[in-house]
Amino acid sequence: MSSAYQLDNIKVFYQQTCSLDLPQLTIPHQQCIALLGDNGAGKSTLLNLLAFLNRPSQGQIQLSGQTIKSDLSRQQRRTIGYVNQQPFLLTGTVSDNIDLALKLQGMPTAERPQRIADALDRVNLSHLAKQTATTLSGGELKRAAIARAIAHDPAILLLDEPFSHLDQGHIRQLETIIEQLAAQKDKTIIFSTHDRLQGAALADTTINLIKGKITKSPLLNVFHGHLDQHLFDTGNIKIHTTSQQRASHIAIDPHEIIISNDVLASSMRNHFTGRLIAIAEEAGTIHLTIDCGERFFAIISPDALEDLGLSIGKPICLSFKSTAVSIF
Amino acid sequence: MSYFADSLSAAIHLIASFDQALYEVVFNSISISLIAAVIAGVLAIPAGIIMALNQFVGKQLIQHILNTLMAMPTVLIGLLLYGLLSRLGPLGHLELLYTPTAIIMAEAILIFPIMMNLAIAAVTAADPRLIPTLKSLGAKSTTLTIQVAKQTRFIMLAAIITGFGRAIGEVGAAMMVGGNIEGYTRTMTTAIALETSKGEFEVGLALGLLLLLIAFLVNFILSCLQRAKT
Repeated sequence: MSSAYQLDNIKVFYQQTCSLDLPQLTIPHQQCIALLGDNGAGKSTLLNLLAFLNRPSQGQIQLSGQTIKSDLSRQQRRTIGYVNQQPFLLTGTVSDNIDLALKLQGMPTAERPQRIADALDRVNLSHLAKQTATTLSGGELKRAAIARAIAHDPAILLLDEPFSHLDQGHIRQLETIIEQLAAQKDKTIIFSTHDRLQGAALADTTINLIKGKITKSPLLNVFHGHLDQHLFDTGNIKIHTTSQQRASHIAIDPHEIIISNDVLASSMRNHFTGRLIAIAEEAGTIHLTIDCGERFFAIISPDALEDLGLSIGKPICLSFKSTAVSIF
Repeated sequence: MSYFADSLSAAIHLIASFDQALYEVVFNSISISLIAAVIAGVLAIPAGIIMALNQFVGKQLIQHILNTLMAMPTVLIGLLLYGLLSRLGPLGHLELLYTPTAIIMAEAILIFPIMMNLAIAAVTAADPRLIPTLKSLGAKSTTLTIQVAKQTRFIMLAAIITGFGRAIGEVGAAMMVGGNIEGYTRTMTTAIALETSKGEFEVGLALGLLLLLIAFLVNFILSCLQRAKT
């Protein structure tokens, strides 16, 4: 079975700066995928490419095994539903918006009322069907835009930052909608978020983006600097690596970081002493933030927290191997 | 002072008495300008939207030409059209010179660049999410142009009304290709010029006042559209 998307040698330049650089990316069918990254990481750029709203500066994109060189055919466009980060609803009511989307997709007039009712029901917005679209609140607007995007039952649903600028109540509602859509198991859902935990919780797979490049590392302990003779200089600290290739970013998996009260005598090449500045509990694990000139994020067990007797402000040591450092 | 006051009084009397000859000119003028505005709008608005939506070689040049045409003197349009429509011209066989059709053509040519530029400006100034949203919903080429026109309809209607306002106030080209024939090609502006030169100042003044009233109504409708848009 072919993948939903296959991207090869993709580069997107914006004002002569490369904003997206993807040598190869395969997105399988029928998975829920989260694009993770900070602002400016290239999440929206990638989603716009996947929605075929923009073309890459170079490289090619395959949609369900077919290379797309110009505009999508109507049949291909019907397979994609897209919701912008700040959805734009057209003039008229919520129903009018969905009706227009169905009309543009070539849906017969007789089928449209039922499709509209179904789509609104799936996002719990049936009561606002006849409301003028411009009078909706932020959360209602996003749900209306999702209804508009799913009304024609696309195989692929692209959601750009669906949770941004929403209160917790609306975020929970949207999470439920995405969970329900993903549970159907016949759809490929790709959504972007800068909330790593939210992405990991909702998605089957995550794609991490940093400055337009995909990294396998979790987006934690990411440092910017330059590499010289296996030594990565962040400007504040120097970190041993095993690589000599040119790189401007490194990341260290928080699970690879060893916490101790004293400097360990071991084969590990990286040892730093710092101050514990935050302790948080999350899903049964303890997340520590340590300031060693750079801020490190480490994960330990509740037992380790008790054994080490850690408290805020206490000086502690962290160690990790040079092989634990990902370079990109 | 007495001359002006007497003329003004006579002009108001002519308007209030619904003088048939006077209103014939007014209706002729309105119908010619309205037809010209609709024809120019039907051509200029899609052209403007298509130009705004697409990137192509020569786009900048077309924009410069449009801007130049907007500043073109109306008598020059009249002169060129006269050359084309006169008996010896390439379109002489159509026998359109000194007909309302010739004035409609002149006025449509005059307001086409204005309307097209307003249509381009409307699309350019529209919400930047409009085009990507329509494309993501499946709109392309013709459907995209139609939907953009629908979503910016108040501005497009304002463009047609602006064109109408410009057309009804035009005199140079209408005089040259219309010939100012009474009851046929006489418009408000050509009649004002003629009546004033004949010494019938009050008739010219009456037509001038009605022209001013039309200009006021056009601007009133434009401001209503602006309010409706916002």
